Amino acid sequence: MKLIKFSTIVIISSLATSVLATEAKESKPELPSIWGILFGHEGFLGHYIDIVYALLASVIFSILSIKVYKNRQLIPGKLQNFLELCVEGMFNFLTTILGKDAIRYTPFLGTLFFYILINNLMGLVPGGHSPTANLNVTASLAILVFLYSQYTGFTKLGAKAYLHHLAGQPRNIAGWVLMPLLLIIHLVTEISRPVSLALRLYGNTMGGDVLVAAFVGLGILIMSAVHIPIGFPIQVPFIFLEILVSTIQALVFTLLSTIYILLMLPQEGHP
Amino acid sequence: MDYQSMLAVGLPIGVGLAAIGSGIGLGRAVGSAMEAIGRQPEAMGKIMTSMIIGAALIEALTIYALVVFFLLYGKIGA
Repeated sequence: MKLIKFSTIVIISSLATSVLATEAKESKPELPSIWGILFGHEGFLGHYIDIVYALLASVIFSILSIKVYKNRQLIPGKLQNFLELCVEGMFNFLTTILGKDAIRYTPFLGTLFFYILINNLMGLVPGGHSPTANLNVTASLAILVFLYSQYTGFTKLGAKAYLHHLAGQPRNIAGWVLMPLLLIIHLVTEISRPVSLALRLYGNTMGGDVLVAAFVGLGILIMSAVHIPIGFPIQVPFIFLEILVSTIQALVFTLLSTIYILLMLPQEGHP
Repeated sequence: MDYQSMLAVGLPIGVGLAAIGSGIGLGRAVGSAMEAIGRQPEAMGKIMTSMIIGAALIEALTIYALVVFFLLYGKIGA
């Protein structure tokens, strides 16, 4: 019984993707989305389709959280239990890295993780489009993390210790002589961090989208030999791979942001 | 030889070379993780988490090559 339900879902989703895929763009293979079909690329908010889908993800997320928060009870129901599981799991995970004061950074980092996860997973639903497949969205998230970590370092360490930390913490004469070199190396490291964050997330999500779209096209090509307009669903194993990759990339983004914030805080060993 | 032919030859070779490096790096990382799990099977959860995170970081360098491919892909063909 479950096998029948599962296989019907698989076949219907592959039919939907195959039928929709006949109107893909030319430059790289891409599956169309519901908004793209209804309004087209030049229609109502057609150019801002990534923003529309990102807003959709945030609205769903916010409505869910607010609804659970307004009716919260001491003995939680199913939805509240699930959200508590998410928040507490995130807090425990961040405590192993940040230590005691992880509670201060958990809202930002937890929201980052779930936002990126929902954005990535939206692209795998037939008719959906993942906003993180656009470099502008991932670059904005990376810039946000960069500014937040610099702000944290600035306020926690104070201005003088911040510059001291930037210059590689010179202690003796050798430290001061090498200071310009260490300053340049440190600045390049700081700049390359958001660049690598943005490119990693963008490359993984866009690569996964292109992979699934290419296999949908191949499936249609296979069945066109027998003149059937429905494609063979060979993209299904790659959707499983994409689910795994989306989760891992959201986790890696959050983990790296946590480590960058940790490196800015005063650590034991150096005052 | 115009730039389109050179792009059409060079881009897939670039991505393939990046994949070689990623294959070697990931093989070593996952191999060490397997060895560590074999030594102490009860630490499997932590070892696997660290292995997955390390694999994502190693993979990122191949993804940079793929991003360059996507950036220049539209320029092939008139």
